[in-house]
Amino acid sequence: MKGAFLLCARQELLLAVRSRWTQIFAFVFAGLSLAVSASGYALSGGHGIQDFARTSASLVQLVLLLVPLSALLIGVLSLAPERGAAELLFSQPLGRPVILLGQVAGLWAALTAAQAIGFGAAGVVVFSNAGGEGLAGFLVLFAGSSVLTAVFLGIAALLSAGAVGRRRARALALALVVWFIAVVLFDVAALGLASLLRSGTASRVLIVSVLVNPVGALRTGALLALQGTTAFGSASLAFLRFTKGTVGAGLLLGGSLLLWTVVPLALATRRLSRADI
Amino acid sequence: MIRFEAFGKSYDGHVAVRGLTLEVEAGEVVALLGPNGSGKTTCLKAAAGLIHPTSGRVTVDGRSAMEPAARRTISFLPQKVAFPDALTGREVVEFYRRLRGGARGRSDEVLRFASLNGASRRAVSTYSGGMVQRLGLAVAALPDAPVLLLDEPTAALDPEGLSAFYALTERRRGEGKTVLFTSHHLGDVERLATRFAVLVGGALAGVLTAAELSERLAQRGVLRLRLDRLPEGLLAALRPLSPGASIRGDELLLPGPASLRPALLDAVRASGAEVRSLSADEGRLDALYAEMVNARQ
Repeated sequence: MKGAFLLCARQELLLAVRSRWTQIFAFVFAGLSLAVSASGYALSGGHGIQDFARTSASLVQLVLLLVPLSALLIGVLSLAPERGAAELLFSQPLGRPVILLGQVAGLWAALTAAQAIGFGAAGVVVFSNAGGEGLAGFLVLFAGSSVLTAVFLGIAALLSAGAVGRRRARALALALVVWFIAVVLFDVAALGLASLLRSGTASRVLIVSVLVNPVGALRTGALLALQGTTAFGSASLAFLRFTKGTVGAGLLLGGSLLLWTVVPLALATRRLSRADI
Repeated sequence: MIRFEAFGKSYDGHVAVRGLTLEVEAGEVVALLGPNGSGKTTCLKAAAGLIHPTSGRVTVDGRSAMEPAARRTISFLPQKVAFPDALTGREVVEFYRRLRGGARGRSDEVLRFASLNGASRRAVSTYSGGMVQRLGLAVAALPDAPVLLLDEPTAALDPEGLSAFYALTERRRGEGKTVLFTSHHLGDVERLATRFAVLVGGALAGVLTAAELSERLAQRGVLRLRLDRLPEGLLAALRPLSPGASIRGDELLLPGPASLRPALLDAVRASGAEVRSLSADEGRLDALYAEMVNARQ
């Protein structure tokens, strides 16, 4: 069982590394990370390379935009293969969950490696120009980026589980809808709703909005780790007031991201096990 | 070995297979025949554990086909097999060899058997359709599984692939393995199968063993004779042996099994006529198949 899981993971890692989509993502992410590390001061009227703290804060938005998108699209493309390939793979004497979880693990390793190239390139440039201050926060952001990859690969697995061997276009379209809702629409909708409600209820809506959206949870967690509360928006501030401190906030955010990693994967394995291939 | 027990499958309200009961014994080579959409692929996929029955059940070696343990006893080649373009043929075979726990040298053997050893280090994206099908055949040949399930294996095969397919199936048959396959090529069916099951509209239209088929086909043979003359009373004399005896143009047509032909010729000679030319049409599987399908439709 363990051997089969590792075989599937290794095969998916190999495929993802050779995939043009992963290569494009690694290239774009590295290019933008380098640009962010070099241009942050320029945007505020200064010049030169930023330190780790400013680079990390600038990278948060890039991570929140690109990582879910890449994990969803590459995930669906990989986890909903052509019918003939899926039929051959799933006719092997393995449980479907073993195959799926192995594939997700391989994809996670490939996408985390692609992000490591971007973080690594930016990190080398920043370290050689501005020293190592703020490196811990930078590493926390990289770890968070990796967790966000796992979360959205789980969601991609859930979308793909009903599309193995067919309906891949529909799963891809759904992936884009999920990305748009999670990254763009959710916060706007939560803030819009909160603005219509009385203060206490509005706070509760904002607190819930941080916990139920993995993108919001990672944003709040990353900003908390990097800059304390200085960069917080209204939702994150309401959330921090509710948790009465960073420890409680960290535990709740960690729990939210853990659930977002485990639950979609569990649902995906269940859905795949019941699917006709 | 493979048992379909009142197996039924519907997709979104469309019935693909209805109440199929069929048993494939160990050592048999059974061909599933039928027009497109008759449920052949659904049956094979059910035996490969890829689809859940809507009703009834499908077992392989006594276990539900959906159990991974049942899939240890099968090797399946899908109808339109596909592989990731980014892998080489050897990488594909190696992956499946490791999944099935095959010996290290087995990959070389099956690549050679599928005539792909020269192209095994090329990416699958550079393969022709026939080569992809041969690669599928190589993967199907990897495990020494007791049951081979092949869904239209010869549909896209080139001559080299056909030869490999015949070799694989005949070897497995010789080893007493079970083969269940679908095909539209009746030549393959006649050559390989020991039993034939015809599906029409998702239901079983008939099952024939090879011996029964030979007999049915033999009945459909026609002896064609050209005589120097047609003696009076000849047809009446021949009809006890060949009830369908008739004259078409200048030919005397005598339907019936080949075993009756010497007696028919003796009867013709006894009438005083001289045989100028003689030919025989043998019964053909395609005609019999079409008849079974049409009767059901």
